[in-house]
Amino acid sequence: MNAPPSLVCRELRLRQFRNFAELDLLFPRPGAAVIGPNGSGKTNLIEALYYLEIFRSFRGAADDQLVRFEGEAFHIRGRFEDPATGREVEVTAAYEKRRRKKVVTVDGAEPERLGDALGRIGVVVFSPSDVAIVAGAPGERRRFLDIVLSLNARGYLGALQRYRHTLRQRNALLRAGAPAAQIDAWTASLVDSGAVIMAERARWVAEHRAAFASRYERIGGEVAARLDYRPSVSGTESPESDFAGALQAELDRLAGRERERGLTLAGPHRDDLGFLRGGEEEGRDLRDFGSGGQQRTAAVSLRLVEAETIRAARGRAPLILLDDIFAELDPGRSRRLLELLEEEPGQAILTAPKASDLEVRHGALPRWRIASGQIVAAA
Amino acid sequence: MGAIDDLTTELARLPGIGRKTALRLTYFLLKRTPEESRRLARAIETVVERVRECSRCGNLTESDPCGLCQDQRRDPRIICVVEDPADIGAIERTGEYRGQYHVLGGHLSPLDGVGPDELNIDALLRRLGGSGGGGQVDELIIATNPSVEGEATALYLQKLVRPQGVRVTRLARGLPVGGDLEYADGVTIAEALSGRREL
Ligand SMILES: Nc1ncnc2c1ncn2[C@@H]1O[C@H](COP(=O)(O)OP(=O)(O)O)[C@@H](O)[C@H]1O
Ligand SMILES: [Mg+2]
Ligand SMILES: [Zn+2]
Repeated sequence: MNAPPSLVCRELRLRQFRNFAELDLLFPRPGAAVIGPNGSGKTNLIEALYYLEIFRSFRGAADDQLVRFEGEAFHIRGRFEDPATGREVEVTAAYEKRRRKKVVTVDGAEPERLGDALGRIGVVVFSPSDVAIVAGAPGERRRFLDIVLSLNARGYLGALQRYRHTLRQRNALLRAGAPAAQIDAWTASLVDSGAVIMAERARWVAEHRAAFASRYERIGGEVAARLDYRPSVSGTESPESDFAGALQAELDRLAGRERERGLTLAGPHRDDLGFLRGGEEEGRDLRDFGSGGQQRTAAVSLRLVEAETIRAARGRAPLILLDDIFAELDPGRSRRLLELLEEEPGQAILTAPKASDLEVRHGALPRWRIASGQIVAAA
Repeated sequence: MGAIDDLTTELARLPGIGRKTALRLTYFLLKRTPEESRRLARAIETVVERVRECSRCGNLTESDPCGLCQDQRRDPRIICVVEDPADIGAIERTGEYRGQYHVLGGHLSPLDGVGPDELNIDALLRRLGGSGGGGQVDELIIATNPSVEGEATALYLQKLVRPQGVRVTRLARGLPVGGDLEYADGVTIAEALSGRREL
């Protein structure tokens, strides 16, 4: 945990974003606690900040939905400071509804590709909706992996884009009942890019399994839980696997069924993660048998592991965004999570419905009140 | 719709030209001398009338077969397969290649309804020695773009021509993945040519 502190958001400027007509905020270096009732715009604020990290909504909303009702375009501008060097970074994002046009800049210049600007700041969001990663469908878990690895593993984003593209082409052929010679022409690219994705996923899980177990144990105050990579191709769980060879062999084996079904039946688009209980209920899947509290604990632990991934990949702690998560955790878990968060050296910006819900940074964060898209310092 | 609208609409159909630019071009043409604009109109008409595909290689040409196919000094034992006629220009500018060409007219893309039948592949097989080809080709360089589609097209061709016993190579090094051959610089293409690999 000796990485230098996170980039610090000093200024955020929103125009026509969600329920913010005009918002200009100056953040103190430690962060802020934003308090307000349901529907006041707390999650919208977090969404805007994280937009500057991945240039889309963390809740999976389409860009059109982010433009204020009756507005035409939104603008987000953030000014971030590196406390270690004093250097500043400015990241902006704008989206115009009518032309469906998104413009991103970093320090005033448009990056050649959007991918070059991704993850410029280093941010982790903790949100109540994270429980879906543990309790929801496998697609939620793949989405989590894809975002974390696109931002932190070199070559992952490119492989993912190539894989998805190839998959669509190959499925189109399978649907049309094309001859094997045509389908095979796409299989090589599917296997190449798929193997990169599988290898990175397997490696990430192997590298962070212990950290996940210990975070889960500390927050939950119970036995550790286990994180597993569950690839669609059996025998490729370990990072040392021959991913390309195994995926190719599996596709060969499934060739007949793929043509019947008109679908690609193996590959990272069918991968999953497993969260397993330890102790007496050893091996029970948290997705099916975990209590709400256990599932939330696993989700929070996963976000802490994400923070560690960012630290390792970028040599700097992440900025921490906490969106109303303490209401969901019982008092014991909340307290133990807070203790863990004190070890995160970065800026923390959090939201809550009531002031009494939080004592992050030992209550040192200034308190702001939010109501229908307006934010003011609390008296 | 008036004449100005008609022209603007036609121009706006061109790649990379939006409605605004089209309107600006229309007014520009109106400001020039009528002779200058007529010259442009004639040039377009002439191109459309005279230029067609070479029946041998698929290149765009005014004479059939095209100048490249007729050139006795070019090595008939090597054929370089490209997606578009513009790619030939890019490779020719390097001055490094003295063989023949074959233009596919695109790449495989099932999502866009482009399969082998939509590409100029039968003519390629004929040149490789099927009926009336002569069978003197011994290397095929596949220079499709280094995109997902270009790679799939290359692989498909390689398997297709394998029974003919022709050596098949692929442009290698230097070309950026997802890039377009037409826009790559000469040095990069020359490097890719000399570093071509066996498929
Ligand atoms: N595009 C939009 N334009 C204007 N208001 C919006 C838009 N999208 C959501 N809202 C409003 O934002 C509010 C919800 O904000 P949110 O940040 O989710 O609340 P909370 O404070 O509970 O986290 C709702 O009142 C909703 O109507
Ligand atoms: Mg909320
Ligand atoms: Zn020709």
